[in-house]
Amino acid sequence: MIVAGIDIGAVSSKAVILLDRQQYVTSQVRTRMPKESAFSAINAALAKTHLKLEDIHYIVATGCGRAQVPFAHKTISEVACSAAGAVHIWGTTVRTVLDAGGQSCKVIHCTEKGRVTAFLWNDKCAEGIGRSMEVFADLAKKEITEMGNIALEPDQFPKLSDFCVVYARSEALDLIRSKVPLDQVVVAYHHAMAKRISILVTRLGVKKDFVIVGGLAKNPGIVYWLESILKVSDLAPKPEWDPMLTVALGAALFADAFYRRATI
Amino acid sequence: MNKGKILAGLDVGHVNTKAVIMRGQEILGYCIVPTGFNVVAAAQTALNQTLDKVGISRGELAGIVATGIFKDMIYDVPPLNATKNVLEYVADAKGALFLNKNSRTVIDIGGNVCKVIHYDQNGDVLDVIYNDKCADGLGIFYAAMAKALGLSEQEMSELALKSTNDISIAIQCAVSAESEVVTLMCEGMDVADIANAILKFITERVAAMCTYIPPAKEIVVAGSLAKSKALIKHLSSLMKQDVSALDIPEYVGAIGAVVTSYEG
Repeated sequence: MIVAGIDIGAVSSKAVILLDRQQYVTSQVRTRMPKESAFSAINAALAKTHLKLEDIHYIVATGCGRAQVPFAHKTISEVACSAAGAVHIWGTTVRTVLDAGGQSCKVIHCTEKGRVTAFLWNDKCAEGIGRSMEVFADLAKKEITEMGNIALEPDQFPKLSDFCVVYARSEALDLIRSKVPLDQVVVAYHHAMAKRISILVTRLGVKKDFVIVGGLAKNPGIVYWLESILKVSDLAPKPEWDPMLTVALGAALFADAFYRRATI
Repeated sequence: MNKGKILAGLDVGHVNTKAVIMRGQEILGYCIVPTGFNVVAAAQTALNQTLDKVGISRGELAGIVATGIFKDMIYDVPPLNATKNVLEYVADAKGALFLNKNSRTVIDIGGNVCKVIHYDQNGDVLDVIYNDKCADGLGIFYAAMAKALGLSEQEMSELALKSTNDISIAIQCAVSAESEVVTLMCEGMDVADIANAILKFITERVAAMCTYIPPAKEIVVAGSLAKSKALIKHLSSLMKQDVSALDIPEYVGAIGAVVTSYEG
């Protein structure tokens, strides 16, 4: 049985094609307009197989652009997909999932089956933290992948406003004028963003095991500061699993379940 | 006192560094580079590239004048040893008057800071207003949104002119505006309409600032966003008077810095 999950996020679109709940092929593309991104994501994944779109039995779309996927059989909230995907990858001990994406952050409590019991969505002032990391890297003329490692280095750094993303960025730029070393500016910004996310996590509370998914899970600086502010360690990344794909995988698992139910 | 001598102006901004080389009233060449987090290196690159374009050597410069938010980092500091420091709004007023003799108000929309300056026929400043903190980074916001839509800044501005459906986004802060843009994308709105809404948001924010200053004719716009015809159109209609873009609007500050030096 071949199913697929497609996650149209604000910054990137991901597709996971799942074969008998075991093997998968994945793809991710930059989100442009949601409809075209849905096609480019699924086509990129199909290109790694000998399959055509018609060969996929069931497709579930999720993410903020889920309503714009013309070939999806069903749409499901990304909160449900995050939990389902995280439990599938990290195992049944997962109880709290932080999904930190390009535009929004969600913290989710779930059961051993990946069923959501409670969740919180970020408030408006904390929108776009993921994208803001990219904007910040552009301003610094650095690769986004370099930034997170720089953020691990200095022990001492100035504190920035951790309420509003615009304030934090503006204050970070002002630090350069005060001749604060570059790596300290980078760590200050990461710390502020991690602090902002931790407020959300604390409001719902952390039940172990705790895991971080989404694009920000790939930023060692953010992960380090989140762990240190929350005083909790998260489950280590799985080799060969890109945490950005977790939500799309969750959608594929739902597709699998729906198709089984329909065909039994 | 410096008439006839060749001077360089460096405008070291939050996002971009602009260099211009002038001989008296004549602009010999100019160049723009991203500032990044290494301000001195960016200033050197901008200056060297401009020297190459003009085809003169560093030794032929009678002096270097610095302006922009990071001016103190190159003023009297090796290796650039800028010989003079000019306040941004003073430079903007002189530069705008130099580029348009009839102008009396300049709206300078920078990457991180937006200011409106009113001046007399000599370019002497009469009144200045800076944006409040929530409107920091309008230029950065514009660049990030163009990237999100997969367009160049130029393409986004041109597309905005083709908008047929008038939609609006919040006029408060760039964080919520960004999240509204994502919502519009996910609702499958037309790209032209979204591009137009983004430019309208920026314009409304700028026009709101202008209400604090009696807008004296003629009103001109500086900063790279001035090159957007859609922005100029919205600004004219919101302020209910003609507003025009300056030629080479990014270089107003750098030019003005040099002009003040010729005036002694």
